[in-house]
Amino acid sequence: MGNSAGFLLGLSTGVVCLAYCGPVLVPYLMGEAKSIYGNIGSVILFLIGRLVAYLMIGLLSGIIGSRLLQLSALKPVFMGIIYILLAIMLVIYGLYRFQEICLGRSRLLGKKSTSRRWSFWLPMAGGFATGMNLCPPFLLAITESIKTGEIAGSILFFFTFFLGTTVYFIPLPFIGFFRRQQALRIIGKFAAILAGIIYLYKGIIMII
Amino acid sequence: MKKPRVYATEGSIWKSILLTFPMILLILLFTAGGPPDLSTPEKSIAFLTTFFFLITLFFLILYTGKTDRYRAIGFVTLALFFALTFIVNLIKARGSMTFSQENLLACEIPFCHIVTTMIIIPAVITNSIIFPGSIIGGFASIASMLVIVIGVSLALGRGFCSWGCFYGGWDDGTSRLAHKPRIKKVNPVFRWFSFAVLLVIALISAMTLNPAYCDWLCPFKTVTEFEKVTSFSILMKTIVFLSLFVALVIILPVLTGKRFQCTTLCPMGALLSLTNKINAFDVRINKENCSSCEKCVKACPTLSLTAEDMTAGRPSITCMKCGKCIDACTKSAIHYHIKGTPNNKNYSWARNLFLYPAFLLLVVFLGGTMQSGIILLINLIKTGNLIY
Repeated sequence: MGNSAGFLLGLSTGVVCLAYCGPVLVPYLMGEAKSIYGNIGSVILFLIGRLVAYLMIGLLSGIIGSRLLQLSALKPVFMGIIYILLAIMLVIYGLYRFQEICLGRSRLLGKKSTSRRWSFWLPMAGGFATGMNLCPPFLLAITESIKTGEIAGSILFFFTFFLGTTVYFIPLPFIGFFRRQQALRIIGKFAAILAGIIYLYKGIIMII
Repeated sequence: MKKPRVYATEGSIWKSILLTFPMILLILLFTAGGPPDLSTPEKSIAFLTTFFFLITLFFLILYTGKTDRYRAIGFVTLALFFALTFIVNLIKARGSMTFSQENLLACEIPFCHIVTTMIIIPAVITNSIIFPGSIIGGFASIASMLVIVIGVSLALGRGFCSWGCFYGGWDDGTSRLAHKPRIKKVNPVFRWFSFAVLLVIALISAMTLNPAYCDWLCPFKTVTEFEKVTSFSILMKTIVFLSLFVALVIILPVLTGKRFQCTTLCPMGALLSLTNKINAFDVRINKENCSSCEKCVKACPTLSLTAEDMTAGRPSITCMKCGKCIDACTKSAIHYHIKGTPNNKNYSWARNLFLYPAFLLLVVFLGGTMQSGIILLINLIKTGNLIY
């Protein structure tokens, strides 16, 4: 099997990964209304965030091996915290320049440099948080990576798993095709706030 | 100032009767489903009342030239009788309005059109329907509802929301309760919120493989069925949908005069708005006649008309084709229109061609529901008990 196992696992379960990342990434891409090339940049940043999360988990599973699965009792609390972080991020993004974009009031809240920083850190942080999301394919990947029994093997497994799942993100930048539709931008902002509220609720329910 | 007559049937009894005649046959077909069942006094009263009620509404729409005024009567009646018959049927079958885990596992949950928005992506991903209902057969099966949704969206687009939806009559009714709305201006940007709901619930449903809107948000669970409260999580969900019902179906429509639930929350409305692009009928503004009084903007219950839309000569894609703006216009500048035909001609033709399928949809949903409801009410009067 070698390194192809991780890639094939990612390829076969990547749609589920996309479904988990969609509620975070799609409202962001719509709200930003960037060109297709701009969206490619945002998706790459999001994927870098995901990759960092995957490599961290890969490293952890390589170091502590099967004991990582024994920590599964902590899964609801861990996931709850991740969901709450995602919620905070989405709500803040949804409200950022809300008056200007959605209500048509020219009240620029941030300077250009702030805006640039936002568009750099936000997709990356979103990618990192969703990368930490213990979705079913991800749990399967942890189990498989533990079987490699070494740190480098485990990290490599997660890297190839990441590559396999990334294929499904290729269509997303094409949202930029509709960027001239102002309504889509408004919908993206609203959707970010709504998804944030739902994640917040899910996070709290998981923790308590 | 009196509105000029624009339709051939307006004010003409004979023309109105002539054009009502085909609808009489259709009403007979869809309310009786064959020879009328007049075997008991209750059934006779129910059939005759429904039959004449529907004929009268259609005749008045033609004779007065007012579409929304009489459509709304039928539409609100549909919502009320649907809730009544649905709840009574549930209590007869299950003993209460709640459903349990056993009902979910047995796939005994009736499928409503709104669920369509949540099953598409999971069906593509998993090749399965993520709703605990029956595919074919039984009450409100998934296949039958999907056929209705596809057919109606092709024929009427979002017209379904004003002519066939058995929930829409709730906030259509409450939005008419106050003579003058307390909140006079609502930002039209909120018409896009239902699209955000559609986007998020479609994605979350794909993520969780669970119909997220039904599970968490649907306010109409208040007047249909809801999950038995057995945990803190279900209690929270119950509080959420009850609050949404009170806020979006009662309080905000009364305060604003707008159909707030349909405009801001319903994902099906957003999906059907997209189908407005592919069906033959739309609403147009004849700019030559328009005096920019903005009476139509104030009247529109779904925030689909703004000053910009008037300049563009048509409402936004969120238009439900209810006809309220057409009724409100004193200059006869707004009208139903068939795509591909001239904007300033054949008002009567376009209106009549729209009215037949639209009213027929109302007849299909209201015919049987109203008869069942009337029989229930007669039994209530006779026995003092709704569930017999």
